[in-house]
Amino acid sequence: MTTAAEFVAVSRHFGDFTAVDSLDLAIREGALTTLLGPSGCGKTTSLRMLAGYIEPSAGKIMIGGKDHTDAPPEKRDLGMVFQSYALFPHMTVAGNVGFGLKLRKVPRAERARRVAEALELVGLGHLGDRRPKALSGGQQQRVALARAIAIRPRLLLLDEPLSNLDARLRVQMRGEIRRIQAETGLTVVLVTHDQEEALEMSDHMVVMNAGRVMQQGAPDELFPAPANRFVAEFLGYENFLTLPERGLVTVRPELLTVAPGDVGGGETAVSATVRSIAYRGVEVRVALDATTGAGGATTPLVASLRGDALTPEDRAALHPGGRVTVSARPDHLVSLAG
Amino acid sequence: MKRSSPVAASLAVLGYLVMIVPILFVVATAFTEGETLRFPPEGLSLRWFDEATSYQPFTDALLSSLQLALLATVLALAVGIPATLAIMRGRLPGRSLVEGLFLSPLILPELVVGLALFQQLMLQLELDNFQALLIGHTALLLPYAVRVTGASLVLADPALEEAARGLGASPLRTFFTVTLPVLRPGIISAALLSFVTSFNNVPISLLLQSRDFRTLPVTMLDYVQQNYTPIIAAMSTLLLAATVVLAVVAERILGFARIFGGINR
Amino acid sequence: MIRSRRIALALLLPGLALLVGGVVAPSLVMLLSPPRVETGEVLDRLGRMLSDPYDLEIVWRTLRVGLVVTAICVLLGFPTAFLLARSRSRWAGPLLALAIFPLLLSNVVRTYGWLVVLGSNGVVGKTLVALGFTDEAPQLLYTELAVVLGLVQLFLPLAIVTCYSAVAQVDAGLDDAARGLGAGRTRTMWSVVIPLSMPGIAMAATLVFAGAVTAYTTPYLLGGSRQRMLSTQLFSYSGVTLDWAAASATAIVMTILVVLVYVASTLATRTRGRIQ
Repeated sequence: MTTAAEFVAVSRHFGDFTAVDSLDLAIREGALTTLLGPSGCGKTTSLRMLAGYIEPSAGKIMIGGKDHTDAPPEKRDLGMVFQSYALFPHMTVAGNVGFGLKLRKVPRAERARRVAEALELVGLGHLGDRRPKALSGGQQQRVALARAIAIRPRLLLLDEPLSNLDARLRVQMRGEIRRIQAETGLTVVLVTHDQEEALEMSDHMVVMNAGRVMQQGAPDELFPAPANRFVAEFLGYENFLTLPERGLVTVRPELLTVAPGDVGGGETAVSATVRSIAYRGVEVRVALDATTGAGGATTPLVASLRGDALTPEDRAALHPGGRVTVSARPDHLVSLAG
Repeated sequence: MKRSSPVAASLAVLGYLVMIVPILFVVATAFTEGETLRFPPEGLSLRWFDEATSYQPFTDALLSSLQLALLATVLALAVGIPATLAIMRGRLPGRSLVEGLFLSPLILPELVVGLALFQQLMLQLELDNFQALLIGHTALLLPYAVRVTGASLVLADPALEEAARGLGASPLRTFFTVTLPVLRPGIISAALLSFVTSFNNVPISLLLQSRDFRTLPVTMLDYVQQNYTPIIAAMSTLLLAATVVLAVVAERILGFARIFGGINR
Repeated sequence: MIRSRRIALALLLPGLALLVGGVVAPSLVMLLSPPRVETGEVLDRLGRMLSDPYDLEIVWRTLRVGLVVTAICVLLGFPTAFLLARSRSRWAGPLLALAIFPLLLSNVVRTYGWLVVLGSNGVVGKTLVALGFTDEAPQLLYTELAVVLGLVQLFLPLAIVTCYSAVAQVDAGLDDAARGLGAGRTRTMWSVVIPLSMPGIAMAATLVFAGAVTAYTTPYLLGGSRQRMLSTQLFSYSGVTLDWAAASATAIVMTILVVLVYVASTLATRTRGRIQ
């Protein structure tokens, strides 16, 4: 397992604001790494530092084992896809894709072949003569991708590449990008704020907050075992409660069981009052106030039940104000650090 | 990455030097004690400011210029704003032709316009020179009135006016309670631009001057031709100070770059 | 919307009347058939002007000065505008304001500074003497160089502001994209920023050229009677020698120059737009 690029203790300040705080991160060769986090977490700043558009305030950027901290973007040989696509409006699609090759003095015939190849790869082989303005958003996105790939970059950097597409196209492009990555064997770094996108696409995901890495790992390692409350919340966990023996734990809504009646406490069962119910087709989401502390202190919980599995007794209890017992299997509880 | 190109930076520095340095020399020489225009100035005094402010042709011309600029600005806005509304909101045929016509004074050389007005308004129709000046300056300012207020009208949502009408406001009331307040930044910009343009105009004022009514820039030009004393430097410094005050006021009201650069950052 | 066409016309009419009566009609009449001049006399004078070496030299000088000033203004103005538009420094705003400010200042005030700089007791002459380059301060005023310098100072702000608007409209992300694909700073400028700012640059050049060939104050103060330009010549005919036919002929040449350059720039921009 080799490292394609590496952040070594990289920080970036904008005035008093610390966008990236002593980041150490290795980008694995041939893998798709996502930087995931809310806006302002430092993910885009990190990507732009890797690409050379922002200079680090401290630390080193290593690419291919060499220090590139002071190298300008044009000396880094990276392919970048911008959130706005940044296609040159005064060039044709083929002109855009061939621009980087022209700069590398690739001979005309070879250039034409590689442009066609890159456009073929993104499924736009027939649109080389068009102007970018004449294309749909999804097509522009593919041109941007082809332009970045055509130069055979050391890394392909994608800055929120799917955020300007509509929902259906976005899901489709996730698969497309994975396919292109598999075909080309490129090392990809992708920035996103969408945890679903990150989970579905990544080999390795890095969750960031306030300029720091909160947790990193493969999606199937990370999702079942968030390290702290921030990561858990960002991955869609909604229930957080402090248990006497285990401290702060979280449990996903679909792993909770709700039974009618008030059977009292236990390690993994609490009594609760139904606050509201939302029917969402198959899923029934129940908002609850669980009695968790002495003196009647309550904690809000959300349970996601399957509507078709509810008994008549369950239905009778599920009304605002109804008393129920909420329980979870001990191994479904995830202990969190702070 | 953010280090800027040394070539571009040198050209920019050169540009700023050419734009600003001569003005600084004007200020420096205005404070001289000596009789002639030279640098470095001989001694330091305010005598030329006294001379400038007590030299009657200058004070008379200043009053004339202010009077003309104010009247021309008011007149240009009074006919320009309704015309803008008609062009932008009225469904008139040949709209782009009319719009082009309103911008035409920007293209015609001012000296040509001045000569034409002199020949035809003053010699043929025997208007006095103040009337001719007022007509010439107002016409010269119309493009600013139309373009600048027009730009803020473009930004204003016509649905605002429709909403006011729907709520029961008459067209006139809609204009005064909805349209006019929306246009206010544009009107202020147009007024400031118009005033400055008229006040500083030379070509038209030069050709339409008379012994009784001359504007300040024309009087100053005439004086430079005959004398080489620092009185003009002092007068220029006073004008510079007044212009700085105007610019600061403009910055406070609306943002300087927006008004005079036509730039929306 | 103003629903009644009659109301719209009523709103338009005062301005239109002022415009036509105050600028358009008098100018056209003067250019085509000026009063108090025999019919044909203007054309005759125009013909003589274009064959008289003295008059022709004035036309050529005006054209030459106009072109040189335009070239310098674009050369200095575009990089300045580019740096101002792309800079994230807190000085960019004040510097932009400093570039716009001279537009508000009287041309007389702005040009007067050159008398101090270039005059016989001026800074440049004295410096040259002090440095031992010459024994006597060279005559710098009333030269073509002086006129060019004065006009560059006068029109550079216009060039900067016009180019600034153009560069600001070019997405800075395109610069980044070009850099990322391997283009250096210079290459990015030539392949991306300049082509996309071209309409603005053309507009800046047009405005500067039209301004430079019609400006009066600066050629008058810095060129005097030794470096006559069309504008100073026009005033001399109309205000001093009262030669109306010659004044009209000069006005015609000046107007043709300006209108031609406007038409050319409009056509060029339009053709470009169609290609894109």
